[in-house]
Amino acid sequence: MNRLETLKDYSAPTTIISDRLMTGMTLGFLLAVLTFFMLYPVYDICRLSFFKEGMFTLKNYAAYFTNPRIFRSLTNSVYVSLITMVITTVLAFFFAYGLTRTTIGGKEIFYTISTFPLIAPSIIQGLALILLFGRNGLITRYLFQTDWNIYGATGIVAAECLYCFPNALFILYTTLSAVDTRLDEAAQSLGASALKTFYKVTLPSAKYGIASAAALVFNLTITDFGVPVVIGGNYNVLATEIYQQVIGMQRFDLGATISVILLMPSVGAFLLNYYLTKKSYALISGQARPFLQPSRPFKRWAFTIYCWIPCILILIVFASVFLGSFVKTWPYDFSLTLKHFDFPSLGGYAPLWTKFWASILDGEWQSMIAYKYAPIWNSFWVAILVAIGGALLTLLAGYIVEKKKPRGDQVLYTLSVLPAAIPGTVMGLGYILAFNKPYYFFYGTFWIIIINIIICNFTLGVLSSIANLKQIDKSIEEASVSLGANPITTFTRVVFPLTKTAFFSNAIFFFMRAMTTISAVIFLVSAKVKLAAIEIIFLDIDGRTASANAMCTIIIVIVVGMLVAMRLITGKAGLKGMSASA
Amino acid sequence: MGRNLRLENLTKTFGTLTAVDHVNLEIEEGEFICFLGPSGCGKTTILRMITGFETVTEGKIIFDGKVINDLLPQKREFGIVFQSYALFPNMRVEENIAFGLKVRKMPKKMIAERVDQMLDLIGLRDWRNLYPAQLSGGQQQRVALVRALAPDPQVLLLDEPLSALDAKIRVRLRAEVKRLQQELKKTMIYVTHDQEEALSIADRVVVMETGQFRQVGKPIDIYKFPVSSFVADFVGTSNFFKGHRTDNCVNTGKRKFKVAQSGSIPEEEVFLAIRPEKIEVFKYGEPPAHLERSNLVPGRIDVVTFLGAAVRLVINMDGEEVISDVIEKDFEQRQLRQGEEALLYFPPEAFIIYRAREGSQ
Repeated sequence: MNRLETLKDYSAPTTIISDRLMTGMTLGFLLAVLTFFMLYPVYDICRLSFFKEGMFTLKNYAAYFTNPRIFRSLTNSVYVSLITMVITTVLAFFFAYGLTRTTIGGKEIFYTISTFPLIAPSIIQGLALILLFGRNGLITRYLFQTDWNIYGATGIVAAECLYCFPNALFILYTTLSAVDTRLDEAAQSLGASALKTFYKVTLPSAKYGIASAAALVFNLTITDFGVPVVIGGNYNVLATEIYQQVIGMQRFDLGATISVILLMPSVGAFLLNYYLTKKSYALISGQARPFLQPSRPFKRWAFTIYCWIPCILILIVFASVFLGSFVKTWPYDFSLTLKHFDFPSLGGYAPLWTKFWASILDGEWQSMIAYKYAPIWNSFWVAILVAIGGALLTLLAGYIVEKKKPRGDQVLYTLSVLPAAIPGTVMGLGYILAFNKPYYFFYGTFWIIIINIIICNFTLGVLSSIANLKQIDKSIEEASVSLGANPITTFTRVVFPLTKTAFFSNAIFFFMRAMTTISAVIFLVSAKVKLAAIEIIFLDIDGRTASANAMCTIIIVIVVGMLVAMRLITGKAGLKGMSASA
Repeated sequence: MGRNLRLENLTKTFGTLTAVDHVNLEIEEGEFICFLGPSGCGKTTILRMITGFETVTEGKIIFDGKVINDLLPQKREFGIVFQSYALFPNMRVEENIAFGLKVRKMPKKMIAERVDQMLDLIGLRDWRNLYPAQLSGGQQQRVALVRALAPDPQVLLLDEPLSALDAKIRVRLRAEVKRLQQELKKTMIYVTHDQEEALSIADRVVVMETGQFRQVGKPIDIYKFPVSSFVADFVGTSNFFKGHRTDNCVNTGKRKFKVAQSGSIPEEEVFLAIRPEKIEVFKYGEPPAHLERSNLVPGRIDVVTFLGAAVRLVINMDGEEVISDVIEKDFEQRQLRQGEEALLYFPPEAFIIYRAREGSQ
C-alpha cells in the first residue's frame, strides 16, 4: 500500500545532526568549561604552594606552621566552625521537629522567616550584631553602658549560626518529614514513653540527616568570608587570612598555602555531607505521610515558643540593618535620614546604566544614581547574566548526566558537584593566579566575575536540574524522536518546557547568589569593576557602617523585588530547596 | 510484494546477558503481529531495536529491502505508542497530534486537516483543546495512538499500550486498535505480556521466552496446538501430568490415561497437557456409559469460581490439583457443589503430548 498521497512529500527533516554528536559536543563543552574555570585555578594554587622556581618545596608550609599568628587561623577556624556546627544543628533540628512532627500553628510563617538569611549577604548577620552588641551597640553601649563587645569568636559564631540556620533546616526538614512517623506511633503503642520514643526511634532514623546538616554547617562556616571580616576583629580565620596575605601583603605563595590548608577540612566536610545525604535519602520511604496526631497542648506551646526564638532573632537582624540604614547616628540619634544612601566613598562607571542615568538626571541625583550607584547597577546586570547563564548551563549538564548518559557522564557529574567543596576565597585566589595574564582578555572585566559566580554555585544548580529531569518520563523524549524531531527540537520544544519551573527557580537561585556573594569575587573586583555586596565590606572597613547597612538594604530590596516578580510571572516560587546544601 | 520488515539473526546482549538470541521473522506489510511473553523475555528489546532506540548487537533489521540497523530513529518513519502514553504534557491534544507534522514542515492548512481527520478516527474532536492531564488514561492513549499515526508511519509499534489501563477500558481499546488496524491496513507490531490480548488482536502471535521465539503462528493454532509445555502453560491455562508412554497409554504413576496419539518408541517420558475447558466434570457415580473408563478419575471439588458464562473448578484428585472450566449450564444441570465428590473425564484426543526432555512435541 502506498502512503497517503498528501503526506508522502513530507518526510522527517533530512539535515539531522546526530544525537550522539550533539551530546558529545555538549559534554565536551561543559567538561572544558569546568576544567578550565574550576580545576585549572585550583591546580594553580596547589602548584604555587608546593613549587618555588620549578622546585618542589614545603617551605611555604613550614612558614605557615611556624608563624604562630598565621597558624592560629587554622585552629581558630576549626574552633568557630565546630561550635557553630553544634549549636546550629541542634537549634535547627528541634525547629524542624516542630515544623514536621507537631501540630503547632503558623508553620508557614516560621518556615518563611527562617529562609530570610538566604536573600541577604552573609555579612548582614555581622552588621546587625555590631549594631546591637558592637562598640557603639544599641544594647552594649546604650542600654548597659558596658565596654564588652561582640567582636571576635563570639560574634563570628553568633552570626554564622544565623546564616547557616536555613541551610541546616532544609536538610533536617526534608529528613524529618520523610521518615515514617508511623514508627513513632508504633513505638508509643508498644508502651514507650515520649522521651524514649524520641531517643530510640526518632533520633536514630534521622541520624544521617543530622550528620549531613552538621557537615554542611561546618563547611559553610569554615569557608565564609563576609562574617569574620566584619565582626572577627583581631580574631583571624583561614578565609580572612588568605585575603590579608594576598591583598594586604602581596604574599601569593602564603595565600595559596593557606588555601590548600583550608581546602582539606572543607572538602572533607563536603564529601561527608555528600555521602550522608545519599545514605539519608536511601532511608526515605516513598510512602504517603500518615495523618499527624494532634500534639498535646504543652508540646504545642513549648514548640511554638521555641520556633519563635530563631525567627525573632532573624527578624531582629533584618530590622536592625534596615533601621540602621535610615537613622542619623546609631544608637544616639534615631531621627530618620536618607543620607546614608548617598554613598560617600563610592564612584564608578556601570556599562549601559551610567550613560542612561546621566542623560535623564542632573545635579545631585545624577551623581548619586549614575555614578555612586554604579556598583549596584553592575551587580544587577551581573546577577541577571549569571541567572540566565547559570540556569542554562546547569540544565544542560543535568540533561546530559540524567538523560543522555554518554560515556564520560560520570566525569561531568563529579566535576559538576565539586564546586560546592571549594571555598569561595580559594576559588577567587585561584582565578587571580590562573587568569591574571595579558592574553586572558576577560580578566579584569565583568565576564570573569560572571563566570566565577556561575562556577562557584554550579553544584546546587546541577543537582536540582537532575532532580527535576528525573521526573520526566524517558518515553516522552522518545516519542518526540520517533515523530521525527531532531535533538535540538526535542530539547527546545519538549524537554525545556517541561523543566521551565525548575529553570526559573534555578535562575532565581543564581540571581540571589550573584547579588549576595562575597568571598570569591572580592579577589576579582577592582577600581573599575565594582559590585554592591563587596562595597558593603569596603564601606564597613572605612568605618561607614551606616552606609554599609544602606547598601545591604538595597541588595535585599532588589532580591526581594526579583522574587516577587518571579512569583508573579511563574505563579509559584518560594525558597524551598535553594539553600547551599547539596 | 509489499514493504516487509525482516529480522535476520537479530541479537542483543547487555554485558553477559543475552536479551535477544538470534531471532528470525518476516513481517508482511499490513500484518498485525504480536510479541507475547513474560517480562524479561526480550520482546520490548526487539521493539526498541526496530525503533532504533537500542543498538543491534548482531544480525540485521531489514525494511523494504534495506538494512536499517544504523538508521537514526527519526529517519525510520515508524510510529510508536508507549505504555505510559508519553503525551507532551505542555501541549494541547491537537498540538500533540500536530507535532510530527510540524517537524516535517507541513503547511498549516494541511496540518489542520490531518489533525481533524485523526481526531475523527478516535471520536475525540471535542477534546482538541484540552491538555493531556485533563483526559482519562484511555483517552490519553487514544490520542497517543493517532499522534503516532498522524505522520502516516510505515509501521506502528505499540509497547504494552494498554497495560496501564483498567480491565474494561483495556478490552474496549483493544477492539479499537484492531478496528484502526483493519481500516488503515497498517503494519502493526504489538508487544504484550497479556495472552488474552495477544490472541484476540493479532494476525500472528510470536511467543517468546528468554530471548528466543518459542512459537510463531495464528492465535488459534497457538492456543490449540502449542508446540511446547512452556507455550501451553503461558498461553491460556493448562493442566500438566508427567508420565511414561507405552503405545497409546500414558502411565503417570497414580493412573493410566489413554491418549489419541501413539508413541513410536517403546517407552518414553512425556508431559500431558490438557486445557481446563476440555475436561468434563460429572456428578459422582453417573457418567455416560460410552466414555473411556481409564480416563475417568474421581476427585473432590475444592474451589468454585464464577467467571460469568463459565465456572472454574479446582478439583483435588487424590492430592493432585486440576483446573477445569465448565459452562454454567452444565454446572447447574449436573448439580456440582463445592466440597462434593465428582467424576472427571479426560478425552483422549484432548491431550497434547510433549516429550519431557525437550518440552516439545
